[in-house]
Parts: sequence; structure tokens; C-alpha cells
Amino acid sequence: MAEVRLTIDGRQITCDENKTVLEAALDNGIYIPHLCYHEDLHPNGGCRLCVVKQEGVDGVITSCSTKVKEGMVIQTKDELAEKIRKLSCDFMFKTHPSECTGCPKYGKCQLASISQYVGDTGRNLREMKIRASADESNPLMLHEMYRCILCGRCVRACGELRGVSALKFAKVDGRMRVVIDGESLAKADCRFCGACVEVCPTGSIRDKVGVFREDLPRDLSLVPCRGECPAHIDIPAYLRAVNEGDCDKAVAIIREKVPFPHALGLVCNNRCEDGCKHKDLNSPVSIRNIKRFAAEHDETQSWKEKYLKVADRTGKKVAVIGGGACGLTAAYYLNKKGHDVTVFESKNIPGGHMTSGMPEYRIPTKAVLDEIKVIEDSGVQIICDHPIDNAAELKKEYDAVLVAIGTSVGKKLTYLPGSDLPQVYSALEILQAQRLNKEIDLGDTVNIIGGGNVAFDVAGTAIRMGKTVNVICLEKDASQASPEERDAALEEGTNLFDSHSNEAILGDGKVTGLQVHKISSFHFDPETRALVEEPIPDSTYVIPCDSIVFAAGQVTGLTEDFGIELNKFGYPIDPATGASGYKTSVDGVFSAGDVITGTRFLIDAIAGGRDVASLMDQYLGGDGMIDETLTERYANPYIGRIDGFAEIERNEMTERDAAARKMDFAPVSEGFTCDEALCETGRCLQCDLRLQLAPQKFWNDYVAVGEGGEQ
Amino acid sequence: MKNLQADVVIIGTGPAGLAASVEASEAGLKVIAFEKQNVSGGAANMGMGPLGIGTRHQQDQMVDIDVEKAFKMFMEYTHWRVDANMVKKYFEASAGTIAWLEDLGVEFAGAYKYFPKSEATWHIVAVNGGIGRNGGAIMNKAMLDKAQENGAEFFYETPAKKILRDAEGKICGVDAVDKDGEEIHVDCKVVIVATGGAGDSPEYMKERMGYTFGKDLFNIVIPGLKGEGIKMAIAAGAATTEMTVEKIYILPNSDMGVQSVPVVFMQPNLLVNVQGKRFINEEMMQNTTFTGNAIQIQKGAIGFSIIDSNIIKTYKKKGLDVVNFVHHVSDIDDFEQACQDIVNDPANPDVVIADTLEELAEKCGIEDVDQFLETVEEYNDMCESQDTLFYKPSKYMKPIKKGPFYAGLFRPSGYGTLGGIKINENCEVLDDDWNVIPGFYAAGTDTCTIYGDSYMFLLPGNTMGYCVNTGRFAGQGAAEYCEED
Repeated sequence: MAEVRLTIDGRQITCDENKTVLEAALDNGIYIPHLCYHEDLHPNGGCRLCVVKQEGVDGVITSCSTKVKEGMVIQTKDELAEKIRKLSCDFMFKTHPSECTGCPKYGKCQLASISQYVGDTGRNLREMKIRASADESNPLMLHEMYRCILCGRCVRACGELRGVSALKFAKVDGRMRVVIDGESLAKADCRFCGACVEVCPTGSIRDKVGVFREDLPRDLSLVPCRGECPAHIDIPAYLRAVNEGDCDKAVAIIREKVPFPHALGLVCNNRCEDGCKHKDLNSPVSIRNIKRFAAEHDETQSWKEKYLKVADRTGKKVAVIGGGACGLTAAYYLNKKGHDVTVFESKNIPGGHMTSGMPEYRIPTKAVLDEIKVIEDSGVQIICDHPIDNAAELKKEYDAVLVAIGTSVGKKLTYLPGSDLPQVYSALEILQAQRLNKEIDLGDTVNIIGGGNVAFDVAGTAIRMGKTVNVICLEKDASQASPEERDAALEEGTNLFDSHSNEAILGDGKVTGLQVHKISSFHFDPETRALVEEPIPDSTYVIPCDSIVFAAGQVTGLTEDFGIELNKFGYPIDPATGASGYKTSVDGVFSAGDVITGTRFLIDAIAGGRDVASLMDQYLGGDGMIDETLTERYANPYIGRIDGFAEIERNEMTERDAAARKMDFAPVSEGFTCDEALCETGRCLQCDLRLQLAPQKFWNDYVAVGEGGEQ
Repeated sequence: MKNLQADVVIIGTGPAGLAASVEASEAGLKVIAFEKQNVSGGAANMGMGPLGIGTRHQQDQMVDIDVEKAFKMFMEYTHWRVDANMVKKYFEASAGTIAWLEDLGVEFAGAYKYFPKSEATWHIVAVNGGIGRNGGAIMNKAMLDKAQENGAEFFYETPAKKILRDAEGKICGVDAVDKDGEEIHVDCKVVIVATGGAGDSPEYMKERMGYTFGKDLFNIVIPGLKGEGIKMAIAAGAATTEMTVEKIYILPNSDMGVQSVPVVFMQPNLLVNVQGKRFINEEMMQNTTFTGNAIQIQKGAIGFSIIDSNIIKTYKKKGLDVVNFVHHVSDIDDFEQACQDIVNDPANPDVVIADTLEELAEKCGIEDVDQFLETVEEYNDMCESQDTLFYKPSKYMKPIKKGPFYAGLFRPSGYGTLGGIKINENCEVLDDDWNVIPGFYAAGTDTCTIYGDSYMFLLPGNTMGYCVNTGRFAGQGAAEYCEED
């Protein structure tokens, strides 16, 4: 690469010979107005705003399409050039609305900004407005082409950059316009990547309102799956890796944020899919199932060497109370940052709810233990069967302590007569008994009180234990539970008694039945949280059973003896805020996961573990940086055309028949086949490609680099 | 997390924030300005120029307006319900501010009226040496250039989030977040809030003024004006004021499209309500505030501007009755086609075309068609004599006779909100006990309560004029405060 020297506005500039005059100027902080030019696109020299005077050349040259040459002398503020710029600006306002009123792009519009800089705001030429009405008929993007100034950036982005060409120039009523190449974006095989929106300098092509959240930074907002994931896993990148057949790489990408890819692939409540923009086309990409596929096809585990590498030891000792997802996640990162971490688990197996609070058929113990093994391999010590009674006392032996015990005590509705009978259990007791091979006296028929997901977890477990199972709940159709989990249990033979309220557990020394009545409606008093119901008269009857299970929520089970301040519900509080948070009342004792949030989902516990690890590292004198890069990434922006892309249907995993699956605790599904995984990853809109595009810059950006006050 | 140091932090870089940044930086203070958009200038980039009273331009043009006359008419208009000290100080400073802008390189095309009955206080920024649109953008650029030359730093796409006060109650810092989510903390002595109101927040307008968007208020959309400055200031202890909407009337879906449509329907012809009655002297239609007020109080908050084919023909031949700088078209040749396009667009109910008046009334949803026909008949009679109902000048009385007939469906809207943060005439922010909060200033639309209930259109250029002048007061105040400190 040879370098050339040239002069722009009297300044000597040295630059690469392949640069254009415009690039050379901009690189050196000399602003030349430009609009059709975009640094990621091939120049077309059409807008004539970037004209400059080159000494020794008649007239003016377009700086975006002229390469630099040795000894060139350029004047950007030449009189003729400025005149032409004003005229060009004027031409754009012939068609563009002359008033900005009501334009949602106002304040971020490059045309308005250029018009301000050039000092020409239109109206010297006769208006010829484009009579195109606003078009909101396409998903995700809207078109108000009466604002279009024909810079062609969208057409070039879609064509040259993406290889899709869903947009084109065409003559409509004798006038040139940018149009969709087909009846609709979907029919034009648009890939809905959003590049056209990203490069549009005016308000002509925009994201529909509500597609992106405004309260997130750009890299999360524009990639909604990543934004919605509490751990911000780089989802498009790992979908791409799976699509390229590289599951190891996919797992590496997932592991950059979470130490439990497989567990999440099995049971995550996939909020990423709520963000997935594909839902506006038909349905979201099946992200969780792809994650499971990646984790189950991660054959060489090529990420492992980097993953197990830890920082130089700091000599600081950390104790983590609770070996669930939150505690283990924090332990992994704190160990990685050089601290010596010991995890104390009260049960005989680590994993928390993953190994003892959810059914085996949803999340096999082996899968979880394999992932915990990696954490141990990295140097974390896990001590089982070791309950901790007092966190404050433990702190005396350690530099920092994390309380991550979750909500591991099931609630029983003790106001219900008969709730003290021996065969009355909490949901957790059943699930733990099954997972940990403990004896439990359920008899033949189990009545489960509650209508959430946990109730159906217990139902599925009891069915597999060969029991007759009844679920009794207030909600019509057990609407608190996810329909999939409810229907799966019902298919397996669970009997549902919805719109039922409980009166008493019957039995004399041994449970014999549940006395219930039917209700027509209910709600909880907002003040007292007491149940207010509308009973159906004379509907009382008894549902016979041998045992009762309360699936009525879980609590921390903590008392004041634990040595940290608690609120009245038994959750640790940070006295500085009065609410539960990562800090507790004892300096150096932290808390995270379900124990501060109440029972949430696996991904929330992991995200909490990450955040608290960062905070604890800072407390221990570290920088708190826990982000790691385990693999390089390359995303090819040239995604090309796929016939009928928008219509490709979501793939669902094939599940075993209810009759077969209820006979054992093996997983309900084998997961995606290779073909299904490939097809499903191919549906991804690759929203992250948009971040590759250079953000639009404005004249004020070239003089406004505000760093001077930095300390 | 980035930590910065400054004397003055300015939140919002419309004309008030920019004027403040020039004044404060001119005094040698270290200024940091946060702007959440990509460009500075705010809503004023759409405007044409500020008010000035007693300027060189007015003297040259022999315009008879001085501070005393303006002050008296202003206070009469507002029934003395507004801060007289602020009005006086602002008007008195306004001529100097025009000269100050000229020193920054801003050229003015002259002093103008907005409509015939107003005073020539509107100093329109020259665009290419004459009258163009959006001269405000050029004025704003001049202020930005000057502030930057003085060393002020501007952070774009970086909204301020929180104003901080120390244990003594003095201003001590501001927190902001950039577009990548990085937090920025600035230690400073002075904060100047100038974020331009809440014209893009239907929720806040509902909360503060009770308007329901799409029902009794339409299309106030200046992107980004979410009222954050007002909320931030209140959170930091500022007292709040009454808020109002700077009322106008519009065709909600057609204001942006082909200009001949709103321009023709805003001509002083026949304006009726849903009961088929006139409710205004249509000459007032040039006063968008008064007309917005009048439409607002009609049933359904709607007004129908009725014209016939003869009127269109006359306008094409002889020109429009009234033009102004904002609604300015070279010709209206495309009016019928543009109306037809709107009628064909199911998403746009702004225009109705019909061959008969009955049909027009029905399509418009006028409830009392007979009343409407009677109104037109009486109106047509009055066109032969005079408007004995509302005394509209005869030159604007054109009968409605020849089909096809056209109706434009006008709704109340606004340029934005006014008021929200309580200040004194020095732009110092006051707390609920009217005590000055040390180091806390606010300027521009967030603080503008000087019009009382309705925007003062008789002295045009007022919105921008208030912003630039109070911005200067705040910047000057900041300089004095930092010097004393």
C-alpha cells in the first residue's frame, strides 16, 4: 500500500493511495457534506453534495468518487462548489417535504443536518412532491417514500452488501422512485435484516414503532433476542455457528456468558424468543432448542482450554453458600478472576433446582453434572452435605461470602384444615425425593394443589412414579401454567380440576381426600393478598386421595440466625436501599439469585450470578470485568436471496408419545435433528449484521469529539 | 463509566441550551452539553427566527413597536397572569439578542409579521440571503460554532439522566448515558436544563393537562421531546408550573404531504362544526392559536373547512387570499389531485369531496345536515352583503355554490408544550418555597409560562425569542454564580 500526500484546505495530508478525496478529508476531521456516500457502500456520486475544487481542473469534482493522487490540492469551501451544494440541496427539497413537522426522523435526519450545514433549506425551486402514500403493510419496516431523496443507499445496501435486491429503482408515473421489487417485502424475498433502515438518511424507510426497545444500548436494542436474554448471550452469532455446522463454536459463544448451555437448552424459559423479530413474520426462531442441539453436538469442546484458563491467584478466599445455578456461575467467574472459591452445598449433590427441583425428564442429572464438572475442573471446590448456619460467621474465615441458597423450602397452606397430616407435602419434597432417590409415602392417588408450572412438574413426576394424579386449582384451565407444560401433563393422564377451591384435607391420621367446591371467579385482595372467591352454591364434594402436594410457591427458609438482616418474608435486605440486592447488611457478604428475587427462572439465576461475581471481584480489588471471548467471529454480510424466506415455518422438536414417555424419566424429546437445526438457524434474521454498518454521522460529529474533560 | 469535570452542564441543545453554552463558554467556563439527538438545534431547526423588539431592522423598516408598547399589549393579553418581570426583561433584552446573533454571523432577512394583525417582531433568519424555510437551523449552527470555538464540548446521542445536588443542596453533578450504554458522570457547579418540553409524550401531556391523544389533541410530534428535563428537574427538587399546549390546528394526516392541501383549507372561507354551524370569524384562521382554541371547544374537537370549485378556480387565477411564510406555496395546481389522493387513502380521513352539499355533510359526519345547508345558504347571502354573524371582512366572503365541494377536517394540535419548571426572571430554578436552588438554571420551553393560557401570536417569533433570550440569561447567570463561588 503506497501512501500519497495531498493538500486539503491548506492542510497537508498523507493517506493510503486507495482512499477517495472524501475519505481522506473525513479521516482527518475535515467535513465535506455527503449524502449518497456511505462508507460501506460503493460510491455513486449522485447527490453532488461532496463536490470540491481541485486545483488545475476545470469546474468541480465529486470527492466521493475521486481517488487521491500525489500532490493534489483540494479546496472544499470553493465558491462554485458551495453553490452547487446549495443547488443539490434545493433539488432534494423539490421532492422531499418542505416541513419537518411530524417527521419521526427529526433530530436524526441527515438531510436536515446537511441542509443546516450547507445553509440552504430549499424552496428556491418549484416543488414536485412525490405522491406516494405511507405504507405500513410490511412487517417490521414501514415505507414513507414521499420523503425519499433517491440517494439509493437502501438499494445499494440491499443489493451489493446483502445480495438480496429486494429494493430497486423504478419509474412510477414517469418519475424515478425506490420501490419494493414485488408485491411486498416478503414476496420480494426480503431477509428483513434492516440494512435499508440503517442507511436511510431521511425518514423514508424506518423501523416500525415498538420493534426495538428504546431503553437499551444500541447493541442490545437492535438485536432484541440478545437484549431480552438476561445474560445477553450473543444469540445470532451462535445460531450462525450452528448453521455453519460448528456446534463447538456455538457452545463457545454461549459459554462466553453462561456456564450452563445444556441445562439452558433444556429448560430455559426463552425470553429471547419473545424478542425475536421473526415473530412479526410468522413465529420466532426456536432459539432454546437450537441451544440444546449445539450443546448435545459439542463434540470436540474446543473452547475448553481457554475456558479453564484462570487469572493469577489473588490469594483472596471466597465462600459461596448454595451450589445452584447462581452460586456455581458466580463461583466460576470469581475463580476465573483469581480468587480461591469454595462452594458449600447442603444436599448430597450440587446443581440446586437443576438436579433436585425440576423433573429428571426435563433436565437429566447427568447433563447438569457434566457442566458442573467443567466448573470444578476450572478450580472451584464444591463441598456437598455441608449446610451453613450463619453467613456472618463464615465471613470471618473468608474475604467474601455469597449467599445463593435460592428458594429451597416449599410453602404449605397451613390454614387449610388437615395440612398437618403426615402425607401432606410441598412440591419440592416430591421432586427432591424422586431426584435424590428418597423414600416418600404418596399412596396410589396424589392430589396436587396449585396450577402453575411447578404443579405440572409434580404431576408429570408422580405419573411416572405410577400414581393417579389430580391437579386442583383456582384458575380456569390452569391458566397460570404455560399451555405446553399443562397439556403435556394432561396428555400423560393428569386429571385437572380447574375453578376449584379447597376447604379441607380429610383424614384421621392419614390423608383420605380433599374437600373442595367449585367457584365461578376469584381474585386476590390487592391490600391483604387474601383470596376473594365467588363460590358456586352446593358444589362441595370430596376428591379422594392418599396424599396431598402443595405447589404453592417456595421461600428462602432463612431466619435471623443466619446472621444477615432479612425482611419479613425471609429475604436478605441491603440496609442502604431497604430492598433485596446484591449487598447485605454485613460488609463482604453478598446475595444473589432466587434468594433475593424470589423464585425465578434458571437464566435469571445465572445472570444474577454473573452480576454479583463482577461486583464481588471489585470488592476484592479486581476490575470486575468478567466478559470473555472464547472464539473469533465472522459474519458474512452477503446473505443472499432465499426463495420464500419469510414463509419458512418454525421447526418443532419431535416428542415421544405420552403413552411411552410416561413410563420412564427419559427426556420427552431427542431434540432437533441436524436438518431441523440447520433449517431453524437459517430462519434467523441476523439482526446483528446491522451493527456492522457504519453508524450515520453528521457534520457536528466531525468537530464534536468530546473527550477533553476526561479525568 | 466515564468521569468528567466541568463548570457548567447543559442538558438539551436547542436554541436555549445553545445560547446558554455560548454565554457560559464566552465567560471562560468549561461547558459540557448533553444532547440525546444526533444534531443540535432541537425543534427550532424547523423554525424561522426569533422575536426582537426595537431592533435595527425595525428602525430601518420604520416598524412602530417598542418595549413599552409590546409589554403593555402583552400584559393586557395575558391579564397579568404571568411573570411581568420576566416579560419585561426578555423584551428589553431581545433587540440586543438580535444584534448578538448578528455578531455570531447570523443574517436576518428583516422583521416580519406572521399574519396581518400581528406586529412585525419576527426576525426571520436569511436563507441564501432571503426568506427561506428553517432558518432557525442556520441560527443554531452559528451558536454551536461559537460555543465550540470557545471550547464547549457537545455529546450527541447522550441523554442526561439525573441532576445531582450535594449535602448543602447545591448542584454538584449530572449523570448521563451514551448510545452504547456507557454511563457518564460529570462533576459541575451549574446545571442548565433546556430540553424543550414534552411535545412527544402523550402520556405526560395526559398526566399534566388531561388531553387524550387522537381524541382532543392530534399529532404533536417533535421526536424526542419527552419531558425528561422537566421530570429530572422536579426529581432534583425544582417546583413545577402549570403546563399548556402551544395550540395550533391541523389536518392530522395531511400536514406533511402536498402543501397546497393545508394551505387552501386554511384560507378564510367557511368553517363549521359538527352541528353544521359556524363558530369563528374565519379571518382568524391565520391565527393558528385562536383557531386551535376554537376547534378544541367544539363537539368532537373538529372543524370542517368548506370550499367549492369556484373558490379553487379563483385561487388558481388570482392567488390565495392569505399566505404566510410557514404555509407558502408557489401555486396550487395540484390541489384537486392531492385531495383525490387523500380521499383514496383509507388511512387518511382528512379530506372529503362530494358533488352536492348534502353528500359532503354526510360524508363529513356532520350531525345536523339541515342546519349545515341553512348555514351555507345564510353564508352565501351574507357574501352578497356582509358577515353580520362574526364580522368577517367582505373580501374574504366567497360563496359556496359550485360542486364538487371540498371539506378539510381540522383538528386541534400543538407546536409542543410550554412550562414545567419554575424559574425566576434570572432563570434560576426555584423550589416549592420559591427559594433559589444554588447552581440550578433552566431556560426555554421547559420554563415558558409567559403566555398564560394561549400562545401570544400577535408578537410572532415569541417561542424562539424566549428560548434564545432565557438561554442567554441562564448562561450569564451561570457565569456570575461560578465567579462568586
